[in-house]
Amino acid sequence: MTPANPSAPHVVRGAAQHDDSQAPEPVNDRELIGRVLAGDPGAERALYDAHVDRVFRLVYRMAGDLDRAQDWVQETFIRAFDRLAGFRGDSALGTWLCSIAISVSLNGLRQVRRARDREVALDDAGLLGHVPIQADPDLRTRLGQAIEALPDGYRAVFVMHDVEGYTHEEIARTLGVQPGTSKAQLFRARARLREALADFARE
Amino acid sequence: MPVHDDDRDPLDDRIRELARDVNVPPPTPRDEMWQAIASRRRARPARAPRPRWIPWAAAAAAVLAVGIGIGRLSVPEPSHPSPAVADAGPAPRVNATAYRLAAEEHLAQSEAFLTLFRASLERPGDHRLASATARQLLAGNRLLLDSPAARDEATRRLLEDLELVLAEIAQLSPGSPAQDLDLIRDGIERGDVLPRLRQAVPTGTALNHGAL
Repeated sequence: MTPANPSAPHVVRGAAQHDDSQAPEPVNDRELIGRVLAGDPGAERALYDAHVDRVFRLVYRMAGDLDRAQDWVQETFIRAFDRLAGFRGDSALGTWLCSIAISVSLNGLRQVRRARDREVALDDAGLLGHVPIQADPDLRTRLGQAIEALPDGYRAVFVMHDVEGYTHEEIARTLGVQPGTSKAQLFRARARLREALADFARE
Repeated sequence: MPVHDDDRDPLDDRIRELARDVNVPPPTPRDEMWQAIASRRRARPARAPRPRWIPWAAAAAAVLAVGIGIGRLSVPEPSHPSPAVADAGPAPRVNATAYRLAAEEHLAQSEAFLTLFRASLERPGDHRLASATARQLLAGNRLLLDSPAARDEATRRLLEDLELVLAEIAQLSPGSPAQDLDLIRDGIERGDVLPRLRQAVPTGTALNHGAL
């Protein structure tokens, strides 16, 4: 699968997987923001329609679970509408939305991890929700587990760059870091994944 | 260590290819999510728009209130007041320096508050006091945003970012989920709000005045 162009904020990412009739027409962000701030409820929906696919794809990649992804996308847009008056236009609206989405996702992942740790602590077997990595012979499953085990920052950069096709500059703007930091984190993420899949590489 | 995209192990391509088949997003449930968003937003109380005249009138009052201690520093007494001025009695003299000092005072209080608040996030507790304090600071912040102090671009941006964080803290209630606290912490850190506040506040401001 070829990743969609992430630098086009209004192009539905991964459009091949979607019904084209749902793809929104290109819209002018500045005009939409003005209408939303003026209280036009139709503009809120238009803004949502213009960006929700991109946000959903990214959040789903991070969440790996439909219910969680839906919750986090909803939280992203609620926070975005609340903060829209403070959006200064330093970056594209899509980048700003993805920044909120990543923030919500990382916080959500921390919540999930804490909840999982509590469950594990309560469960004597200590295996609830976890399958030991070596136990599963399927490379894809193992890769999914290895991605999930990455530190949050590495995971976000790996998903954005290697899976969703963002550039380091876009990732830097979204995460509020330097492009060099994004490159370094991707380098380390890949090293962790190679290490996790080392025995498959030898086969 | 310089890191380049080209520093790629042959296994990386295989991993990248496979990773695109992990957590493959289904079609966006856009209507379902929109209904939930609209419903959650409707359930919250709407914010009444502020009349334009109130911030200006209140800004002067706030500057006077905050500036009781600083007002005399901001406007040096003329050495030879004209008779007309002397006859007119004490006129309100709020100048740019007073606004700047009021802004510094406010930013110093906010910096101290956010530092304490962030530290309090490390332990569970009731954030009602923090919420009440944030509301007070938020009021001052809004006044300053509408004052000449906000004509300085850096100050205005800082006040805008601060407003978002304070508004989030002000909305905390005893029933707020832990995720709200995480998002606030993230908002403080992501916007570098505290370092920017510290940079904006001259050493010794506010805490020396017993602000908190």
